[in-house]
Amino acid sequence: MFDRNEGAAPRETAPRNTGDPSAVTTPDAPRLVELVERTRRLASDWRTRALHPQTVDQPWLLHVPDVGPACEVVLADRLLHDLRPDEREGLMAWIRGSQDASGAWLSADGEPNLSLTTLGWWACLVAGDDPSSEAMVRARRVVHALGGAQRTDFHVRLWLAMGGQIPWSWLPAIPAEMFLLPPSVPLSPANYSPWARGMLTPYLLIARAPARLQLPDASPLLLERIAGTPVSPRLTRAGLAGDLLQAFDRTVKLSRKLPRGPLPRIASGRAEAWVTAAQQANGGWFSVRPTLLSLIALRVAGATSDDPRLRRGLDYLRASRGLARIVHGRDAGKVVLAQALGPTPLRATARLMAAAPEDGDVPWLLRQEIAERGPWQHRADADAGGWPLSVGARQHLDLEATCAVVDVLDRVDPSSSQVSPAWATTRRATDVILAMQEPDGHFSRFERGESEVFMRRFPWTDADLLALGNGLDDDHLRLSARALARLSAIGFRSDDDRVAKGLRWIRARVGEARRAGDLATMPMSTLSALAECAGAHTRGDDALRGDVEDALRRRQRESGDYGGVVDTALALQAFVGLGETCVQARRAAQALAKAFAPGDRDLPGLSQSVSTGFGLSPTGLDPSAGVRESAIALRAFAAAGGRLESNG
Amino acid sequence: MNDSINHGPFRHDHYDVVIVGAALAGCATAKAMAMADPEQRRRILVIDRCVGVHPRFSGEFIHPRGAAALEELGFYDALSAAGAIDVDGFAVFENADARHVDLAYANVPNQRPRGLSVHHKVLVQVQRQVVADSHVELVEGWAVRELVRGERGEVRGVVVDTRDGHKARLTADLVVGADGKASTVRKLAGITDEGRRTIGFTAGVEVHDASLPRPTYAHVFLGGWGPVLAYPILKRDGRVSTRVTFDLPVDLPAKGARLREHIMRTYLPFVPSPLAAEIAAALAAGKGPLEMAPTVELPAPSAVAPGLALVGDAGGCSHPITASGMTMGLLDATTLGREARRRAHVPAGQAWLDAASLRRYRVEHDRYVPTRQVLAAAIYEAFRGGQAGERAIRRALFDYWESGPVARSRSMSLLSCAEDRASVFLTEYLKAAGHALGTSLVPRHASYFPVTDRLRRARGAASMAQGKLGLVAQVMWAQLRPSWLPHASARL
Repeated sequence: MFDRNEGAAPRETAPRNTGDPSAVTTPDAPRLVELVERTRRLASDWRTRALHPQTVDQPWLLHVPDVGPACEVVLADRLLHDLRPDEREGLMAWIRGSQDASGAWLSADGEPNLSLTTLGWWACLVAGDDPSSEAMVRARRVVHALGGAQRTDFHVRLWLAMGGQIPWSWLPAIPAEMFLLPPSVPLSPANYSPWARGMLTPYLLIARAPARLQLPDASPLLLERIAGTPVSPRLTRAGLAGDLLQAFDRTVKLSRKLPRGPLPRIASGRAEAWVTAAQQANGGWFSVRPTLLSLIALRVAGATSDDPRLRRGLDYLRASRGLARIVHGRDAGKVVLAQALGPTPLRATARLMAAAPEDGDVPWLLRQEIAERGPWQHRADADAGGWPLSVGARQHLDLEATCAVVDVLDRVDPSSSQVSPAWATTRRATDVILAMQEPDGHFSRFERGESEVFMRRFPWTDADLLALGNGLDDDHLRLSARALARLSAIGFRSDDDRVAKGLRWIRARVGEARRAGDLATMPMSTLSALAECAGAHTRGDDALRGDVEDALRRRQRESGDYGGVVDTALALQAFVGLGETCVQARRAAQALAKAFAPGDRDLPGLSQSVSTGFGLSPTGLDPSAGVRESAIALRAFAAAGGRLESNG
Repeated sequence: MNDSINHGPFRHDHYDVVIVGAALAGCATAKAMAMADPEQRRRILVIDRCVGVHPRFSGEFIHPRGAAALEELGFYDALSAAGAIDVDGFAVFENADARHVDLAYANVPNQRPRGLSVHHKVLVQVQRQVVADSHVELVEGWAVRELVRGERGEVRGVVVDTRDGHKARLTADLVVGADGKASTVRKLAGITDEGRRTIGFTAGVEVHDASLPRPTYAHVFLGGWGPVLAYPILKRDGRVSTRVTFDLPVDLPAKGARLREHIMRTYLPFVPSPLAAEIAAALAAGKGPLEMAPTVELPAPSAVAPGLALVGDAGGCSHPITASGMTMGLLDATTLGREARRRAHVPAGQAWLDAASLRRYRVEHDRYVPTRQVLAAAIYEAFRGGQAGERAIRRALFDYWESGPVARSRSMSLLSCAEDRASVFLTEYLKAAGHALGTSLVPRHASYFPVTDRLRRARGAASMAQGKLGLVAQVMWAQLRPSWLPHASARL
């Protein structure tokens, strides 16, 4: 169905690629030129679909999450009343069509998911589906089989609490006084991940009210004891520490019944002020989930439907909708309206621009640069710069997007009128990249310290919401490799202590992976980024280069591919990043040539799953990845002197 | 081949002074000696292995003290007429988006308010013309092959030859090595150049009518791998030529034509617009390899030996970031000229500069050269910012310079070789170190910068300051050293 890999792919490091396939001068140039041009055209088609809404009825999504955000939008519309009938129908088609034959809604990697199934069932109920219908009954059975709705993630339980289906005590207590702590205190919300702040701050306001949405009865999803009382969830992990924390949680909840002076009121005021201040230029709060909760919190706090904050937030939700092809479920393959995590994601956009450049790309990218202060600067010592996760999120830096955009700007012709602003933004972005390095050498994606949140050390079941990964994961390895490769492209070398420290960290991680045998299963996107980094910073006999190259060579299949178009394209990019246009690179290119044989215009199977998401955000798909990464890989291969046919 | 030794084009077979190298320091020394001999009793010969100007790209920026020396030696007017440009100091850009700091010569008390910048080829052509107009004999196309030794091993002259095999043996009371950082004379004399190392390369490109933010300043742009310098070098027919240099690592990341592209991608983004685009156009328009010169660090070797003196880069050189190399060469020339004047009365049969003269020259030379070398190395490291401590020092320097005109004036007096008091050097060092520690603890943009990060930065700054203590002590000793104290390597 799709390639189970993640989305980052390296910039080609071969001689600068002008994008002109006619520059290829190898013996089989016509065939390679034709292939490069074909993939470029396909990438260009994707650009038109996703970035030129004036030429299509509805833009296509560049990042397709599971049905979770769509379900929540449908639920929240009971309060917000903003969905047009066609939008409601479109989203419901997406939700219903994604239901698996088993009744479950699957995560992007194809596994039945309790939280998604709970949300899917409830959204269908809100839309008027008969709870006794076959599909709904199957869904309910799946929920029960997976432990009941009380075992869902924090955000689904929050919806259940708002809907009056479960008591608020089934959610973790957040002492309001925490919002009064100075940011230097580890417990302060300033140290949480941006999405955690975006969810927990409105949660404080919603829980304090508490809010109640008029939603249909979801109690059939809760597992009950024989006596008919619902089984309460455990908020903490098993063990003594978890028991103590559970006791503390109860104490906090009990203490709320005691007079606590003005502190809770002051804290709520601060939280409300934060909600107002954190609204982005695009109207959202980091992504769709924090946005929905913030809108509900504002309504709870008394904002009316004509409040501009609400209006902008609703516009943000609307701008985050687009067409997507259903991947799993009864209507798999059908193209319907879906709800994304946010508006146009900049990383995928920049990669599309790298694959199929157009005249207006650079000015458009320059306009998206972060120009105002944001919470990422709390612990990163750099001036405003870099690029956000999605268009208009002017306060939230995304280092992945920043690296991808700077790669595009790197190709600006020095004689172009755009070169001066492009260089100026590159300068700022370089400072930002350097400032996002952690003391141990790896790079953080959204905020420094994002994987070292103190509160996460407590054994909450939902503690992962507070942080991004653990700092040693593949996401951070890939990001660090990309950041170091990016720094190399601007002239930084291993004689700079920051680069040296980053390389040490990467060597240690790769060494551990080699010893554990994990290089063989490492996502190809990570391996590809490592290859680009090793190609940029190391010479022939370096151990890091050797490990990466070895893993890359061993994973190629007999047919020359790497298990899927995206992986094959990323592997080809990795070969070029290492300066190789060898026989294995040629076989990878040949595999791509086969995949892009004339006639396959739509290429529905060329998407890939992207990273594991931020906190509770779902895993999603990157549908343009196959086409665009292939276009980039083949062009780089051609520019490096690669050939499709051997001499013999 | 013609192996016979004869006089060739030389007017004499014995000279009072033979100067090897007819570039800035050699010509200036020749002129200083000539001026010390108003009665023209002495025979002064300057030889150079190149006919015309040496093709290699070289220094072009001269501090006021050097400009004053040029004026004193009678070169200044001719250089001005040939298009040399009076310059006002340095404009240092921490990054292309930041406010720059003007380090103006005019703020330094008791010195000429302006320096001089001139295209190297024009400089040498004019100097040779001026020298040739005096009673100095200038011969081009002859290279030193060996030194003539006396009974006690002292230098008594040179054996020179041409490319086509002509050879000449010339004796002299004094041989002056002014043949640059890779001095042949120094090697033949057996003077050790221990510690000499090539630390990188400097690539240069000439840009016409560049949009320099401060048209009469030398610009230093930081942020890339190494500093980018841009300064005007020639004004002719209403057009101004600007030299732009790029500091490249010793293991060049690209060669040939690809080096231009590498510079465009990795250096020009750190230069403000529209200058960056103008440089890009000049790089793109150029054909063939860029003008390049190795950047050599040569801790000051013994500048004298019996019958021999080294001047200019032959007597020690450092990174060109402080642009003090030419000024040092001119100071060497005027110092030797002063010693020559001191012994102008000596009868023609006796050596013009005796051992005591050379000893005094060495003492003077050793006072300013190590200071300049330590300063250049420290400034270069800080401007490069490859380590945390170096970046802390860089930031501290900018903070210090922005703290007021007195700070800028004191720093500039050291950088422009106008100040040689040990106390000033020491206080400036302590202030920079103090600022570095202070600024390390205070972030520029982060609102809640973690304490551990602050301490790590401060530790880096402290470690760098500590690492420089030995060099500071060395400079202090060079300043305070009694002139009568013999050098360990002294043979005079």
